[in-house]
Amino acid sequence: MPLTRRQLLTAAGAASAPLALGACGGFSTSGRDAGASAAPGTVTFTTWGTDSELAGLRSAIASFEQANSGVKVTLNAVPYEQMFTTIDAQLQAGKAPDVFRVPYYTFGSYAGRGQLLDLSSHLESGFADRFTPQAWAAVQNGGKPYGVPHHTDTSVILYNKALLESAGVTEVPTRLEDAWTWQEFEAVAKRLRENLPDDKWPFAYNWQGNGVTRWLSWLFEADGRFLTDDLTAAAIDSDAGRAAVEFTQGFFRQNLVPQNSSVKSSTYAADLWYSGTTAMNFGGAFLVPDATSTVDFEWGVTFPPRDARSAGDFGGNALVATKGVEDPALVAKFLDHVTQKQPMADFCAGASLLPTRADLVQEGIEFTVRPELSPVFVAQAGAVLPQDSGQVASPSMSAIITVLKDQLEEAFVGDQDAATTVRNLADGIGAAVAR
Amino acid sequence: MSAVPAATAAATPPGVSTPEPPRRGRRGPRRGAVTEALAAYGFLAPGLALLATFVFVPLAGAAALSLQRTNGFGDGVWVGLDNYARLFTDPVFWRATLNTVLFTLVVTPGSMALGLGAAVLLNSVLPARGLFRSVLILPMAVSGVATALIGVLVFDQNSGFANAVLRALGLPGVDWQSGGTAAFVTVVLVTLWWRTGFNMLIYLAGLQGVGREMIEAATLDGAGPWQRFRYVIVPMLGPSSFFLVIMNVIYSFQVFDIVFVLTGGGPRNATTVLVTYAYDNGFVTRDQGYAATIGVFLLVVSLVFTALRWRTSRTRDLVG
Repeated sequence: MPLTRRQLLTAAGAASAPLALGACGGFSTSGRDAGASAAPGTVTFTTWGTDSELAGLRSAIASFEQANSGVKVTLNAVPYEQMFTTIDAQLQAGKAPDVFRVPYYTFGSYAGRGQLLDLSSHLESGFADRFTPQAWAAVQNGGKPYGVPHHTDTSVILYNKALLESAGVTEVPTRLEDAWTWQEFEAVAKRLRENLPDDKWPFAYNWQGNGVTRWLSWLFEADGRFLTDDLTAAAIDSDAGRAAVEFTQGFFRQNLVPQNSSVKSSTYAADLWYSGTTAMNFGGAFLVPDATSTVDFEWGVTFPPRDARSAGDFGGNALVATKGVEDPALVAKFLDHVTQKQPMADFCAGASLLPTRADLVQEGIEFTVRPELSPVFVAQAGAVLPQDSGQVASPSMSAIITVLKDQLEEAFVGDQDAATTVRNLADGIGAAVAR
Repeated sequence: MSAVPAATAAATPPGVSTPEPPRRGRRGPRRGAVTEALAAYGFLAPGLALLATFVFVPLAGAAALSLQRTNGFGDGVWVGLDNYARLFTDPVFWRATLNTVLFTLVVTPGSMALGLGAAVLLNSVLPARGLFRSVLILPMAVSGVATALIGVLVFDQNSGFANAVLRALGLPGVDWQSGGTAAFVTVVLVTLWWRTGFNMLIYLAGLQGVGREMIEAATLDGAGPWQRFRYVIVPMLGPSSFFLVIMNVIYSFQVFDIVFVLTGGGPRNATTVLVTYAYDNGFVTRDQGYAATIGVFLLVVSLVFTALRWRTSRTRDLVG
């Protein structure tokens, strides 16, 4: 039956009605329901996490709810890739969750720009004493705490025993104080280079993507800084800065690392190690469960090299509360609960992550998977100094990360000399903190 | 698709009158026409409202943001045209622009030529052509991110399929990820694989609109296969080509997911394009004002290109 124009228009109108109604009503987002602070006695909490991390957090939430009758914590687990674009949009719109999880290198971007709750008056006196000094320094902004250090992680060397033995490297350091010096590490790497086939490499470093902050470990090992004490100016144009750039640039020049493992590469160091392409991999404890279940070779861990001193990247995440929470006291109570001894020990052991509580660090912790490796990770975490972790809490860290990526890429892949690289780093970091 | 009046007039034999268009009444448009127009606008309104809400308002917002200095949160500081002035002195921006233009110049004709070739082949009596059509169109069903991940498997320079094949043939491997030119080539190759199916689909539809009698007439006039293709089929595909040029150029200007996943813009910005650079500024550095400036630049370039192509295309409305 042929349609008349009137019938056609009527049908088109009926078909477009749902669109019109959708436009009037607005589109709902999953973030809104779980994100915004809602009823009294309710805490909304947004995070990403592996299965074991989420299990640990759910366990902590359950014990908090049990201890506080009538209180409800709503957990919103999102993919890491969407986490911060979503959080930023929610903060802009005033719909942010009460609590969210944030890496230490991103923490300053929120704290320094007035988005987080100053916890000074909501935490009991002496609260800071439960944490290691480096962990507490990482959640400070202007001398005030804007979060709680939930866990940390730092890189050690994961090694493929067979590949090391094929180059005659049968012993690795077993104590922090016996860690290879830079020169010893380079000698081991060169020995591996001579003995490995062309399609395998001595090691890969985990500085890809935002992991570029892990390059700072080399700077700290050379006893350098990238920011001044008050975090207001660049301090990287120094002998230590030049030494760190020159030494790490040598990894590429001497073919000790795959050429596609630079800071802007889309290939991650861990994947190169999993595939047997590299003999050693710098990586955190969070890799332990995956490595245990994935690789089919025998592997162990040892301490990363030292120069003027041992150092490490202060990885891991803090928990922070947004400035506009309806019940700051309840939120502070929740943050207090998840950083108490038992919840933190359970979370870290299950997820293969390192505690930020001084007592747990002192007593040691045993990962659920490969517990015999735990002491190496815990000891290495002790090599991180508060002066190092405090710099990473700079509000300008997001802009500094871009500068580090651009300049180190020029040095590693583009052969830019160390002096020029350090000068450019100083200029870029100076501009970032002045912005 | 509307007919072209000039073509109609030229085809009219001399001395034969053409019918006049219907005349409107002297008292203006008839009452039914007004009601019809109102009804049309009424039905258009929801679509226009959506367009305004999700296109024009954000565009105006982006234009306003491009005049501010921002740090990711709170109100920005109005800085006038400072962000635009910064574009001119930013070497990474110019590198991204050059990469984007180069990518467009390679991918647009490349994917159209491959699409046309495949369409001609699959419009013939090729056995199992239904299967081949499906195989070529299949990448369209895959997201850009998944396509790029497949690209990573192929072009990983240590363990990828491409270097494995090269080495099996006794050839040296290529630095697909650490060599600037090679990395750019990987982005182009993966994009061509992804986009050829779409171009083929449009050309296939265009080819099926070409009358068999035209081909037969050309054959009777003595045209060989190449002449029939060059002087009959290609001109008849004018509207398809016009559509594809616009779509491919706009896509190429806005390429993001393939580059973001496959190379991350590296090495040394060799594959950084305007949208990945805007993303880095907006979401990594949190300099959203500058990111918006790059976005506005991209919009203006796209609009200028589309307008130029619209004005210079003589075949856009001929046949479909």
